[in-house]
Amino acid sequence: MLLATAILLTVGLMIYVAAPLLAPEGPEESVLPIDVTLQSDLKRRRMVIYDNLQDLEFEFKAGKIAPEDYESLRRNYLAEAAQLMLASQDQEKMSEHEALIEREVAAQRAALRKAAPQSYACPKCGYENPLPVKFCGECGAKMPGQ
Amino acid sequence: MNQFGTIALIAGLAFAVYGAVVGAVAGKLRSSRMLKSAERAVVAFFASITLAIIAVEYNLLTNDFHSAYVAEHSNRALRLLYKIPALWSGQEGSLLFWTWLLSIYVLLAVLLNRRKNRQLMPYVISIALAVGTFFASITFFLANPFNRLAETSPNGLQPFTPADGNGLNPALQYHSMVIHPPMLYLGYVGFVIPFAFAMSALITRQLGDNWIRVTRRWTMVPWMFLGTGILLGANWAYFVLGWGGYWGWDPVENASLLPWLAATAFLHSVMIQEKRGMLKVWNMVLIILTFFLSIFGTFLTRSGIISSVHAFAQSNIGSYFSVFLGVIAAFSLTLLFLRLDYLKSENRLDSVISRESGFLFNNWILLAAVFAVLWGTIFPILSKAVEGVTVTVGPPFFDRVMVPIGLLLLLLTGAGPLLAWRKTSFQSLKRNFTLPLIVAAVAGILLYVGGVRKLDPWMSLSLCAFVAACVLGEFYKGARTRMKTAGEHFIQALYNLTMKNTRRYGGYVIHLGIVMLFVGFSGLAFKSETQGLMRPGDILQADGYLLRCENITRGQTANYKYTTVSLSVTHHGRAIGVLKPQKRFYLASQQPITHVAVHPSLAQDLYVVLAGRDPGTGKAVIQVFINPLVEWVWIGGIVMFLGTLLALVPSRAEREIAEIRRKKDLVVEAERAG
Repeated sequence: MLLATAILLTVGLMIYVAAPLLAPEGPEESVLPIDVTLQSDLKRRRMVIYDNLQDLEFEFKAGKIAPEDYESLRRNYLAEAAQLMLASQDQEKMSEHEALIEREVAAQRAALRKAAPQSYACPKCGYENPLPVKFCGECGAKMPGQ
Repeated sequence: MNQFGTIALIAGLAFAVYGAVVGAVAGKLRSSRMLKSAERAVVAFFASITLAIIAVEYNLLTNDFHSAYVAEHSNRALRLLYKIPALWSGQEGSLLFWTWLLSIYVLLAVLLNRRKNRQLMPYVISIALAVGTFFASITFFLANPFNRLAETSPNGLQPFTPADGNGLNPALQYHSMVIHPPMLYLGYVGFVIPFAFAMSALITRQLGDNWIRVTRRWTMVPWMFLGTGILLGANWAYFVLGWGGYWGWDPVENASLLPWLAATAFLHSVMIQEKRGMLKVWNMVLIILTFFLSIFGTFLTRSGIISSVHAFAQSNIGSYFSVFLGVIAAFSLTLLFLRLDYLKSENRLDSVISRESGFLFNNWILLAAVFAVLWGTIFPILSKAVEGVTVTVGPPFFDRVMVPIGLLLLLLTGAGPLLAWRKTSFQSLKRNFTLPLIVAAVAGILLYVGGVRKLDPWMSLSLCAFVAACVLGEFYKGARTRMKTAGEHFIQALYNLTMKNTRRYGGYVIHLGIVMLFVGFSGLAFKSETQGLMRPGDILQADGYLLRCENITRGQTANYKYTTVSLSVTHHGRAIGVLKPQKRFYLASQQPITHVAVHPSLAQDLYVVLAGRDPGTGKAVIQVFINPLVEWVWIGGIVMFLGTLLALVPSRAEREIAEIRRKKDLVVEAERAG
């Protein structure tokens, strides 16, 4: 009885584990999303600098940091933040360009797909020609519509 | 139930292998359905091992002595409270328990990252389950808790069921022993997760600070458990072993200290990577070292290559562990080497006097501590290999090396947080250090006048005053600033200050806990010991205490025979109660054990041991220890535990970000749905 329960439970778990491999999947779920894009990484690094700045401000107010240290550190952080912001803007431009290129490629592909006939099979011998041709590559018969 | 358990264990092993392989393939192919299957394998792994655990517990609770493990580690008279933890009192059970805790950690990692870190997760699962595979197979093939007893008879091998079991090791029949091993294991096992994330980041080349932010909490949790486990072990040693102390630099104690020290270094140096993008390789090295040492600790406990008070766990599985350790080192270091180009530092050290260099210094000292403890621990093996004679280095070695290291660390505990990031000028130093230095100086003078003349405790206690002033000063200055800028009253400002940056102020609370620990450690220098033979009516004097023997009783329970001595105690003439040290003789295991009687106070513990019976006079041998300040060790441990919990609470900013992310997810889901 116990043995049967154990085996049954194991089989159940096996089905549970294997199920995602057998189920059909939607296209948007097929590839794992990127965790950290360059853009978000730059943004995060900028946020860290803002955080550091806030800390610095607080520690200065609390009297932990001498005014001259505070000034030079603040300038340093601000410069770093500015640099990161520039990098972010560059990156944004880049990704705009990239998006444009991607759209172009997608449009071209779609156009091609529409224009091309579905099959180049020879009506005489049935050979599937890989490209649109005038004469069949197998038997030499004239292909229709060329 | 043994067959049930065996099938569950095999299934667990199979799911671990499957998950490890499919996880890696899912990562390589970036296939989301394969990742889903690997995630489910984690669930199945957890479910199977849980069933195996249930099977062992069922055997223990139903006194199934046909099962070898139950016969070895339990008996009928054992209290229910100790039957459940008998699971982790022996080799087989504790390895299964280890595997189970691992499965819980991996399951949590999967559940908490259902939407996040999708690129990292396949490899995280793969690596964690590869470790799970190792432990599950050691359990199944070499230390199976479902083995059955058999005896040879003329008709061949026959099943055998003894009438009663051998019983649980009496030294383990103590309440803090019930939670000490699980705490330690939660510590050891938990370092698998940060290690797996680190390796996954290396494999996927995602080496920004994402993995650091993800793993920080995953390191803090096992760090907290390990620290608590170590102190509970010390507490057990203090109350059960009856030699008057709580830490003896035993190899197994050291083994648990090693990963704790390495993880402490890691928890500090991650901050430099988060804030300044530096020390990326170093952090990788530290997390690899922490994980390596946590497995090494398990190896030391299990292999029996070094003799220790934990001899109950010795066996022949050591060689498999050494191979596993070799694999971990080779795999992680090769991977690290291949990715060195991706781990370039974003910034350079601006100044020697800065928070960064303070952290670096702290790292070096912690690693020096790791090295010193490691050296002293494996010295017997080294000396045997080189000279052919086993030379053991005892507590004097550790005390000589670790006292200066500990004092330096204590100094940094206070000084580090006062240094500013990047650089600190003399002006800033003066602002921050004047008051703590004055406090330390006053404390030093008072201590000297008060009679503390030994160098080590004097320095330690003065430094404790210094660090306490530094840390409390941080709270005070922060709260005062908030009072000024936000117009809050003191308590409100203190609360808001802490909740706004739980991590920093939680860290400071931990530092206060460290101060208390060191106060406790300093007390060791002043401990004293007296011994006397007593029969009813006799009086023993010990450092202001008078102990009068009232009576000696002997008796027996189902589990053990005992002798109890009742001592009425006065301190400087004031009655403080009756202490009853006891000696027990456990029947099933035929082993004696002392139960110490302690009268605790914040200033000092009166610690009384019934050591035995003097064969000549027939009187009871009573040992009395006066242990100053010991209670501060336990209090410090509790404060550190609470501080870590505080640091784990998401700060206000983090909660806001999480809320935004949750809303975004909802929007995405709504879009998908409609």
